[in-house]
Amino acid sequence: MNFSAPKGLRTVGRRRVLLGVGGVLLAAGGLVGAVRTGGYDLGPAHPGALRSLSAWQFVVVQALARRIAAADDPNDESIPSADAVDVAGFVDAYVAEMHPLMRLDLVRLLSFIEHLAPLGVRAASRFTKLDGATQDAVLSWLESNDQGLLRGGFAAVKSLVFMGYYRDPRTWKILGYAGPLVGRPVGGWQ
Amino acid sequence: MSDASGIIRGRELRGDLKLDVDAVVVGTGAGGSVALRELARAGLRVIALEEGGHHTPADFTQREDQMLPMLFQDGGGRTTRDLAIRILQGRGVGGSTVHNTNLCKRTPDAILELWRQRYGVSGCGPTDLRAAFESIERDLSVSEIPAAMRNANNDVLRLGTQALGWRGGQLKHNRVGCIGSGFCELGCAYDAKRNALKVVVPQATAAGATVYSDVEVTRVLYKQGRASGVQAIARAANGEPVAWLDVRAKVVVLAASAIGSASLAIRSALPDPFAQLGRNLRLHPGAVVAGRFERTINGASGVPQSYECTEHLDYEEGSDKRVWIVPAFAHPIGTASTLPGFGARHMKAMRAYGNLAVLSAMVHDETSGRVEVGPGERPLVTYDMTTADRVQLAKGLVACARILFAAGATEVTIAAIPPITLRSAAELDGLSTAFVRPHGLPITAVHPMGSMRMGDDPRASVVSSTGEHHFVRGLFVSDGSLFPTSLGGPPQISIYAFAQHLSPHMIARARA
Repeated sequence: MNFSAPKGLRTVGRRRVLLGVGGVLLAAGGLVGAVRTGGYDLGPAHPGALRSLSAWQFVVVQALARRIAAADDPNDESIPSADAVDVAGFVDAYVAEMHPLMRLDLVRLLSFIEHLAPLGVRAASRFTKLDGATQDAVLSWLESNDQGLLRGGFAAVKSLVFMGYYRDPRTWKILGYAGPLVGRPVGGWQ
Repeated sequence: MSDASGIIRGRELRGDLKLDVDAVVVGTGAGGSVALRELARAGLRVIALEEGGHHTPADFTQREDQMLPMLFQDGGGRTTRDLAIRILQGRGVGGSTVHNTNLCKRTPDAILELWRQRYGVSGCGPTDLRAAFESIERDLSVSEIPAAMRNANNDVLRLGTQALGWRGGQLKHNRVGCIGSGFCELGCAYDAKRNALKVVVPQATAAGATVYSDVEVTRVLYKQGRASGVQAIARAANGEPVAWLDVRAKVVVLAASAIGSASLAIRSALPDPFAQLGRNLRLHPGAVVAGRFERTINGASGVPQSYECTEHLDYEEGSDKRVWIVPAFAHPIGTASTLPGFGARHMKAMRAYGNLAVLSAMVHDETSGRVEVGPGERPLVTYDMTTADRVQLAKGLVACARILFAAGATEVTIAAIPPITLRSAAELDGLSTAFVRPHGLPITAVHPMGSMRMGDDPRASVVSSTGEHHFVRGLFVSDGSLFPTSLGGPPQISIYAFAQHLSPHMIARARA
């Protein structure tokens, strides 16, 4: 095994990273202003009022959740979808309790994913308008990006989505996880 | 407003408060609770202000989505500034002792000796601290975890360690009446943890101390080189201020963690002529390796950590052996967040949940991180892991993989991005360790230390060997901030014991 000093990702100083990412996010903000953020349909599946996310942010989270928590067997009806366990609804409620600055960071990240990240795989469209395979390519690009802040941002979104998905007892069956002992219904979690 | 425990819930305050006491303690974790208790037992008028809520075993639902926001800073989402390292810290009465895995290891003698020789810490040697360790271990009913309570994940570590002929052993804990539910990190619903929440804070309130939960201290006050009190805000559950507290006190004890105490000190513009405040932060960072077994492991059940491998750990500064290996199994959300990837491949990996054993390699780090204050007066943690520490982490992860194979794993995955999957120990021989880099794998830190370190030289430390600030009389530190270096292991017992050991200085100052 080679224990030579591991090379960093591209060894860019934090200032440069921040300037780069900041510039990109600024541009994203401008684009969001230019490209309207209307026209996002919550659909009938989410009748409740949103607590923290706007309609477009909610739809982006929905799209992210569908890919991040996609089933390994699409034909297995016992696996609940991200929509079925309302991951986006959970994220909306969870984000409402976050510190306002963390919430702002998340909204900036969602804006970046929706409007600019597709360019990373040469797709000139909103993330939510892409097909599933291209969305996966965008997410892989984020997860392995040279810019640490984007990788970290993806990890944060992934954690939120999985918190929304694996909080639901219906998903525990996939893992063979028995769930909490406290409050466990007779016959186990359903 | 005050429940049966005598703790006042700040969120239920209906008006501003002006309090005049002998001492005020900021934080109620291991260090804060002991300082509070000792000051109260000395007959002093003392209060503690705790930023988080007061929760009892009835609140601990064993659900990650509910407990993370309730028991952890930033809902478990606190990270270093570059988002590369996740930092899990407690929030609430009892601090991190509510969610930790109850491991009890004394500060190694070699570390105490290093602090004396290299960092100018006096009066804190093994002999000096013995009484404090013995006392706190009695209070918390510390004992060796019985072998019968070792779950399959821990047994994998034992089997692999022994098969390789490496050094390892059973750990000690502070539990009584444990049923082995496996939900320790989410608070104990069975009240089996003999921690600050269950033992020390009640002892303090019984001795006359008052605890306010939901109260965030915003400033430490001092004038003419003497501590004079704190300003604080009581917040409702939604974070909105409900009352302001103006506390006058001769003694202020900072016990809000290596990150919280340092950031509060910086916000308060404490004198720092030698630019030591917030520097020298250690995180004891770790990453995980998962092994897949034919047999069922069911790692989420039982005592999460009961065995350690110390083959690659000594306490010499600059040593090439600076890795502590322990089991690190998580419930589904924690596991899903740690496993690399997403989508169908990720779910396929998650299906092996019941057959996985997971080990963590934690680096006895020498990287010097820094705590600052960022936008919104929030703590900002900078930590650029040194090459030497990255090499240690790589060695630790490879050691974890060897242990898993030696214990019978059929497949081992290092949680790098992209994941590194191995099918035999022989594959480790040619493995490049370039993946160990910022953002190259999920790194978690649960033991922040340093940032306001102790020592007799004001040019190289923030507080003296008595825990008192070099330039503000009556201001003490009583948490992991004190430690000049990493401990290389779990710090809770050291924090409790140092608080006990240093408390006579706080008492003397409050009486002066």
